Amino acid sequence: MTPDEVLAAAVREEWGRLVALLLAQFRRLDLVEDALADAVESAARRWPADGAPDNPPAWLLTAARRRVLDRLRAEAMVLRKEPLMLVEAARPTSGGAVMADPGGLVEDDRLRLVLMCCHPALAPEVASALALRLVVGVPTADIARLFLVPEPTMAARLTRGKRKIVAAGIPFGVPDASVLPERLDVVAQVAYLAFTAGYAPGSGPDLLRADLSGEAVRLVRVTLAMKPDEPVLQALMALLLLQHSRRDARVGADGRLVLLPDQDRLRWHHDEITEAVALVAAMPSPVRSPLAESYRLQALVAAEHATAPTASDTRWDRICDHYTALVALNPSPAVRLAAAVAVAERDGPRAGLHELDDLDHALPHSHRLPAVRGELLARDGRRREAVKALDLAIARCRNDVERDHLTRRRDELRATIDQ
Amino acid sequence: MKRYVVLIAYRPEVWEAAGPTGRQEYFDAHHAFERFVDEHGTRLYSGALCEADTATTLGPGRGPERVVTDGPFVELTEQIGGYYDVELPDLDTAISAGRLLPADYTVEIRPVLTIEGYVPA
Repeated sequence: MTPDEVLAAAVREEWGRLVALLLAQFRRLDLVEDALADAVESAARRWPADGAPDNPPAWLLTAARRRVLDRLRAEAMVLRKEPLMLVEAARPTSGGAVMADPGGLVEDDRLRLVLMCCHPALAPEVASALALRLVVGVPTADIARLFLVPEPTMAARLTRGKRKIVAAGIPFGVPDASVLPERLDVVAQVAYLAFTAGYAPGSGPDLLRADLSGEAVRLVRVTLAMKPDEPVLQALMALLLLQHSRRDARVGADGRLVLLPDQDRLRWHHDEITEAVALVAAMPSPVRSPLAESYRLQALVAAEHATAPTASDTRWDRICDHYTALVALNPSPAVRLAAAVAVAERDGPRAGLHELDDLDHALPHSHRLPAVRGELLARDGRRREAVKALDLAIARCRNDVERDHLTRRRDELRATIDQ
Repeated sequence: MKRYVVLIAYRPEVWEAAGPTGRQEYFDAHHAFERFVDEHGTRLYSGALCEADTATTLGPGRGPERVVTDGPFVELTEQIGGYYDVELPDLDTAISAGRLLPADYTVEIRPVLTIEGYVPA
């Protein structure tokens, strides 16, 4: 590996660990991230000339520590006192020797960091940005692109989050076993939010942002490595891997959205599918936590799609069973709409249409409901009604890629009526 | 230790409708909160406040420029019914404490700021 590659790998693998160690030592959220970024910058300058050090993370840690100490000295000179972050009193102090012995202590620090960033007292969009920045080291510019906001907006959001952590006294700590499960649920929700942001269609180049969703997958992977027996993390990991495995197949060469049945299945990441299927298969059924169970059932649905050799081989009977369980757990209109689609695939368009009957009042602004209805009406041969439903869907749809798709479909149908 | 003011918002009609047993439940919940704070930190001050319609608000201005009006800052269905001023190790402990308060309250946990350079008279 070239020094640049060594540095990139060290940043990718060790960023969160280094942030956690620096926070444990200095308790200064406002200094630590900048100090580490400075250390990386100086490594980028020096390693190509001097060669990469034997222990890259230790080099970065030492350099970052020196930066923090410089800043602290400068502050002492002007007698400025910044509030310190709260670190658990019972926490053993970590010294310089810790890097040489990456045992439980270090992993605990990283878990503290994850829980601090994903605290329920932080707004979800702030928490997910902080977790991506501090735990997995995603640059602010990339986080901004992921969430479709300008970089200064994202930088301000991160600063606001860090300020709230310090001011409100969000601890750098692991809570009691009685509270930990609900906190890990929040971690999962925060990671899921970051993941879905990458798939929210935007005006920019879509594929690039789907790649950024991979950073959220990494956040879950890091957390799962620390809590490997936690059902909510296992189920979420499986769900995200399955959804993400299709990233290369969902946009066609012409930049258009390719729907699941039409995707080239050879372009799916089958190693990820294999990993996810194994994860979800090893889980008990059902799991007790409602959030974990909801992710598990969604993963099971995604696994059916991912393992069907062709679209027409899809086991809609099993998917319907998973949706029945999911609706019982979470009868939200969005889940019921997805369940209705599965019923239509299993029992035909009329059965699906019947399932849609009482959803209108629950989804008065959704474009998906009339879009699904239009598609099912078309399949049932009721083309005039289908066009009407698609007109409504097009009027409600606010996303360009999807609206183009709906418009094409409606125009096709209309042409067959006019003939 | 960190200082927090725990603000309690409640609906007066719920409290008024509570019979003797209902009120005892409120008292028990407050006792649980107080014991928890004593165990993990310090209770500095606390107060139950009279209803919002007894409040008097002074608008901004210097001395007599301040206009005196009847009522609280903001009229809401929920009103501030009391507060605790406490010292606790961190927000997680404060959240655990706040969860012990009566179930119908909305509870706001606000950190207390130390203003650099300000010394009370």
